[in-house]
Amino acid sequence: MNHLLLLQQGQAEQLRHFPYITELVKLKVQNIQLNSFTIKTHSELRVGLITEGKFDWNIAGQGYTLFPGDTALACPWQAIGSTKGIMDIGTLTWIGIQPEFFDAQGKLQLGTWSGISESEQGVMGKILAMNKTPVLTRFGAGATILQSIEYEIMQQEMGYRTRVNHLLDELFIEMVRHLSKAENFRRDFPQIFLKLEQTLRSNLAHPWTVEEMAGLVGLGTTAFTEKVKVFTGFSPLHYLINLRIAEAIKLLRQSNHSLTRIALETGFYSSQHFSSTFKKLTGYTPRAYRKNQ
Amino acid sequence: MDCILTIDINTSAVRIHAFDLNGKVLGMRKGSYPTFHPQADYSEQDPEQVFITTLYVLKNFLNEQIHPQKYKVQAICFCAAMHSVLAVDKNGRPLGNAVIWADNRAIKQSKMLKNSPEGNSIYNATGTPIHPMSPLAKIAWMQHQDPERFNQAHKFISLKEYIILQLTGEYLVDHSIASSTGLFDIHQLQWNARSLSFAGIDKEQLSTPVSIYFDEVGLKKEYYKSLRLASTTKVILGSSDGCSATLGSGDIRHKRATVTIASSGAVRVAGKEFLVDEQQRFFNYLLADDYYVSGGPSNNVGVAFDWFTQQFGNFHQGQEFEQVREELIRDAVYVPAGAKGLLFLPYLLGERAPIWNANARGVFFGLNITHEPKHLLRACVEGILLEMYSIGKLLSTQRSFDSISLTGSYASVPLFAQILTDIYGLPVQVNTTVDSIAQGTALIALTQMGYFSGLEEASASTHFTGTYSPDEQNHDLYMRYFEVFERLSGKLEEEFEMIAGLQ
Repeated sequence: MNHLLLLQQGQAEQLRHFPYITELVKLKVQNIQLNSFTIKTHSELRVGLITEGKFDWNIAGQGYTLFPGDTALACPWQAIGSTKGIMDIGTLTWIGIQPEFFDAQGKLQLGTWSGISESEQGVMGKILAMNKTPVLTRFGAGATILQSIEYEIMQQEMGYRTRVNHLLDELFIEMVRHLSKAENFRRDFPQIFLKLEQTLRSNLAHPWTVEEMAGLVGLGTTAFTEKVKVFTGFSPLHYLINLRIAEAIKLLRQSNHSLTRIALETGFYSSQHFSSTFKKLTGYTPRAYRKNQ
Repeated sequence: MDCILTIDINTSAVRIHAFDLNGKVLGMRKGSYPTFHPQADYSEQDPEQVFITTLYVLKNFLNEQIHPQKYKVQAICFCAAMHSVLAVDKNGRPLGNAVIWADNRAIKQSKMLKNSPEGNSIYNATGTPIHPMSPLAKIAWMQHQDPERFNQAHKFISLKEYIILQLTGEYLVDHSIASSTGLFDIHQLQWNARSLSFAGIDKEQLSTPVSIYFDEVGLKKEYYKSLRLASTTKVILGSSDGCSATLGSGDIRHKRATVTIASSGAVRVAGKEFLVDEQQRFFNYLLADDYYVSGGPSNNVGVAFDWFTQQFGNFHQGQEFEQVREELIRDAVYVPAGAKGLLFLPYLLGERAPIWNANARGVFFGLNITHEPKHLLRACVEGILLEMYSIGKLLSTQRSFDSISLTGSYASVPLFAQILTDIYGLPVQVNTTVDSIAQGTALIALTQMGYFSGLEEASASTHFTGTYSPDEQNHDLYMRYFEVFERLSGKLEEEFEMIAGLQ
């Protein structure tokens, strides 16, 4: 194994100013070593880019074959490693980034170094956590960004610390955009919307924002709102109210849950908010509706 | 000023139109809801979401457009997609989702019935082809495959009946929707005993069948209040989408066929006799005033073109689907008719009319070394329309027609209209400014209210915005292609089954 670059936090002086970068490694593998790449989880987010060779990896329990140009992405709770336990022959680069907080529900706080707003980090965390394809194909931006990060860290020219932080932000933004666009490539909007609908439905209690919903389908909020209006006849938030009330009706009729519980389960702030919205739409208060049935 | 509202509860959305009393559109609102596919053959919708969406759209439409303009709503008339079925308990609570027309879970039950002597008698009495789409087959499926739900079911109703139940508190079904269930005798106007016994239910488990003009119940008083409608606002039951579209797209006395090209499609004719077919290939649905709407549906219309767009469209630089589809249509215009001797059988989803073969599959036929992607594109469009012709041709053996009304989302695409007119060799007329389903529903309401003497006069009030005329040369050419098309789709029956078995 031939390390073209090996920077590890705590050992490499170059990473001293970047405590959130756990490692930056460039590796050329010329002969196979046993147990050189076993499957395990890391506490950080790992992004690996293949430049030469063919790698059989297992990410989050699924097998993938990676070719040059492919980028692997493993979140902190996802195990990554080689199916055979060995690093295959070839060349690759990876970076480990340790967010301040990142969990499988998608709650993400990158840290004070990041210039991405808190709410956008929330959306990005959701998209990363919900992502089902940890291998990004034709992700050209990744190679360029990793190369620039390496250059900045090694050369330490004026302003390099700011530059590296910007590049890390850039990497996150490009990855998330790539993921949400790749998901919906060659799909018409009704199909895209149906998938989003299922996501909303599976977690109605979450206080969904338009930014989150638009991010999930890889659109800007303006285009997203416009498209949702044309397709569904409702603004995104009104469509969401539809879903919430329909679910609430089901719970009112088929369960004995309290109104407060139904309100919270279907994503209303309070039973008052639930009652007034319900009454405005159906003409009945939730209590009267339940009694009537 | 007075107006009426039409509420069309369709497969993908509810569309509410306002019309003045002359049948002119004043405005429209829609709200969509999803179809779920929990398994490959399943297609379901959430009745509560359909209801709440309907109510929400109605409320917004009234509050934002109708009331501010001081329109007085005289009547509300309904329309809906056919073949949906929903089990409800004795309190009217849905037992699970509604199963819609596209659902194929009952394929076994329908096959069994079709091959039995009972099948022919049921088809002749009910007018509905024996097929997994019909509520008859779906209820029979539930009896055997989901006995728990089946046994809890107090009634089996369509989505339209569920909306009517929510709004009025009554179980009512109009003759048109009833005649698409496979359970209703279209000659006696009552539930058919043989069907009921096959489905394993009794007639008390179905709604009361009434005329499409029925107006004897009103909204629940809470809805008159919350929607701010006068308590004199009539509720007229209305018809089904197929019947309304036929009524709303031309004079029903004329020798005319209505071709609908949307996601799925159909060719229909209206007339005072129902069509008899030993091979059970046509549907006969009951409209009113002694009129039946007869014809055949196709699975592979817009869906097939969307498939082509998805697989072969040029999605460079993140172009959107709709944009790519438009570009393809533009490209197809410049490919000469006949696609250089290439044919496409569009049976991607199996096919209903005219071959009624769930195992049918798509075929590109005649490929040679000179064919380019653009020829596949043109062949795809032509194949879809040749299929629409094959239904029409079969229909014309029983009912001749000399013009076509084209409706559905593709009616506004000139390429589709022109190829259709060339294939049929008949003038094709379109109205791209009005939704024929809404128009037909409004005509039913206006007839019921006495503004027309009957459906004949009402349908004569429709008009067209454009006419396409056939090119004789292209027609002759397409007829030569159709000969191959028809032979192939008949010949391949065994091979379809073999290949479907491998998929």
